[in-house]
Amino acid sequence: MQFELSRAVPSLRDAQNQDGGWGYRGGASWTEPTAYALLALAAAGERGENCERGLAWLEKGQRGDGGWAPNRSVDRSTWVTAMAVLVLAERTGAAALPGAYGWLLAQSGRESGYLQRFRDWLLGLSQEQNVSYRGWPWYPGTSSWVTPTALTILALEKGGRGRLDPRRRERIESGREFLLSRRCSDGGWNHGATRAWGYSSDSYPETTGQALLALAGFQEQRLEKSLRCAEGHLQTCRSAEGRSWLEMALLAHGRSPSGFPKDDLTLDSAIDRALIVVAGAARRGKNVFLS
Amino acid sequence: MPAISRRRLLLGSAGAWVLAGCSRRPAAELPQVSITLAPAYTQELYGSLRRILSEHKLEVRGQRVVLKPNLVEYDSARPINTHPLVVHAALEAFSALGAAEVRIAEGPANRRNTLELAEAAGYFHTIPGFERIFTDLNLDDTSLIRLRRPASRLDSLYLPRTVLGADLVVSIPKMKTHHWAAATLGMKNLFGVVPGGIYGWPKNILHWGGIDGCVADLHRVFPRVFTIVDGIVGMEGNGPIQGLPKAAGVLVAGRDMVAVDATCCRIMGIDPQMVGYLGLEETQGQTREEGVRQIGEALGRVRTDFELLPAFAGVRLRRA
Repeated sequence: MQFELSRAVPSLRDAQNQDGGWGYRGGASWTEPTAYALLALAAAGERGENCERGLAWLEKGQRGDGGWAPNRSVDRSTWVTAMAVLVLAERTGAAALPGAYGWLLAQSGRESGYLQRFRDWLLGLSQEQNVSYRGWPWYPGTSSWVTPTALTILALEKGGRGRLDPRRRERIESGREFLLSRRCSDGGWNHGATRAWGYSSDSYPETTGQALLALAGFQEQRLEKSLRCAEGHLQTCRSAEGRSWLEMALLAHGRSPSGFPKDDLTLDSAIDRALIVVAGAARRGKNVFLS
Repeated sequence: MPAISRRRLLLGSAGAWVLAGCSRRPAAELPQVSITLAPAYTQELYGSLRRILSEHKLEVRGQRVVLKPNLVEYDSARPINTHPLVVHAALEAFSALGAAEVRIAEGPANRRNTLELAEAAGYFHTIPGFERIFTDLNLDDTSLIRLRRPASRLDSLYLPRTVLGADLVVSIPKMKTHHWAAATLGMKNLFGVVPGGIYGWPKNILHWGGIDGCVADLHRVFPRVFTIVDGIVGMEGNGPIQGLPKAAGVLVAGRDMVAVDATCCRIMGIDPQMVGYLGLEETQGQTREEGVRQIGEALGRVRTDFELLPAFAGVRLRRA
C-alpha cells in the first residue's frame, strides 16, 4: 500500500484521457473525477501539461446556463458544477466563475420550495425531515442531500475568499443548518435520510467527513458528538474516500486524527487516488477544499 | 449525443433479445413461474439454479448476460442484499448454458463506494474474479432513452449501456417489504440500473417521478428480463434496509416479471393487486393466481406472511 500511496500522483497522471479529462475507473471523461484529479494535482504542487489539459477540458465543459453536466453526453447541468468551481477557484479571476455561482445559487432542494411546502400542507403530508432549510440537490428538481450540499458550501466559500455577498452568505448558512438538521442519531451523516417511518438510520464515514468539513468553524459547540462519531468511523473505515474526508474534516476542526489502519485501504477509482493526495496535503497544512 | 428512442433501441437489438419462447406466446398460454424450495445458502444452490434455468428453457448460447443483484447497504444483522451465493450459482448456471459473457452489474442507491459495499456483502469472497466481471452501473457510459407513454412524470432517462446492450438481463432481487412500495422484487430492482453518476445517490428523481410509475417505465424499457428472486431469507417490516430477517426458503423465477413479482407477493402474504406498479404493468391477469402457470412447490405450502408496516395493513392478502 505504501507503494500505492507514493504512486498516487503518477498514477493520476497516467490515467488522464487523451481529451484531457479523467474517468472514474478509466473510460470516458466525467466532470467529477476530472475535478478531483485536478484538485489533487494542485494539492501536490503540480503545474505542468497535465494540469493545463485538464483545466482546458473542464473549462470547455461549462454550459450556457453557467453549470456543468456530469459528462459530455448529458444535456443537463447538475451538482458537479460545485466540483468545477472548487477547481477553478484556485485561479484568481477565472472567467467561468460568475456564471457558475449564478447557477449554484439558483438551485435548491425541491422539498424546501414554498409551492411544494404549501402543497404538502394542503394535502396534510407530514415530513420526517426538516424542510425549512435550503440545501442542494444532486440533480435539478429533486430533493437536497448531504454530499451536494456540503460540496456546494465548500465551493461557494472557497470562491468567495472570505468576501461573500449577502445572498451567498445566506445560502451557505441555510445550507449548514440543513446539514445540522440531517444528522443521524449517532452524530454523523449518511446520504441525508436520518429517519424512515420512525426508524433511525446510521451514518457513513465519507458523508460524515464531507458534512463536517463544510461545517468547519461553524458553531463548534454543536459538533462535539459529530466529531466523536468521525473519530470512531476513522478507526474502522477502510475506504480511501471515507478516510480522506474524515481526516480533512477532523484537521479542519483542530483535531489530530490518528489510530486508523493505514495498510489495508482500498483504492478503486481516480477519486480515491485523488483524495489520498488531497488529504496528504491537508496534513501538511494545505486543504484545497477550503479557501 | 443523439438520443436513442426506445423503439430504435429495441429494434436494433431485437435479434439479440432472444429468450426461447419469448418472441411469441399464444394468448392462451399463461406465464410460467417456478417456486423452488431452498432452505439455506448452501452448495445445493448450484444445482438448483441449473434446474431452474432448465425448467424455463432459457437459450443463452453465445449471448451476453447481465446479472443484476440487489446491493443497497451492508448491515451484518440484516439481509439487505441478494446473497452472493445465489448470484454466483446463477453465474455458473448461465456460463454452463454457453453464454458468451456473464457480467454482474449493479448501481447501489445510497452508497457511492460500490466495490466496498460488494466486498462487505461477501461478493469478493464468494465470486472468484468478482472485480473483473463487475460493472458499477452508477458510473457506466449511458444513452438517453425517451419514455414513450410514460407511467411516471418523467419523459426520459439516461440508462447504462452495459444493460441496454445486454442480450439478457437477469434481475436477482432479495424478497423484501418496502416502506413506500409495499414490496421490492424483480421489477423494483431495476431502479438499480439508473445511474447515480448522473442522478445522484439516492436516485431521487425516481421518487419525484413517482415510484410506481418509474417502476412501470423501467419495466417497459426492459420488458424481457428473466427474474430469480432470492427468498431464502428475505426481509419483513421496515424494508428495504431496516427490516428484519424473514426466512421464506424459496427461489422464485420466471420470464414474466409481473407474474414473478405477483407470485412473490402471494408468498409474502401481500395482495399483488394492491401493489401499485403491478397494476400498472399487468397485461393479462398476472396478478391473479389463476393468471399464472405455477410450477414447482405449491404456493399454499410456502406462503409465509411477512410482517408489514401499519401503513400497509390494507395490502395483506386474505387466506382462502
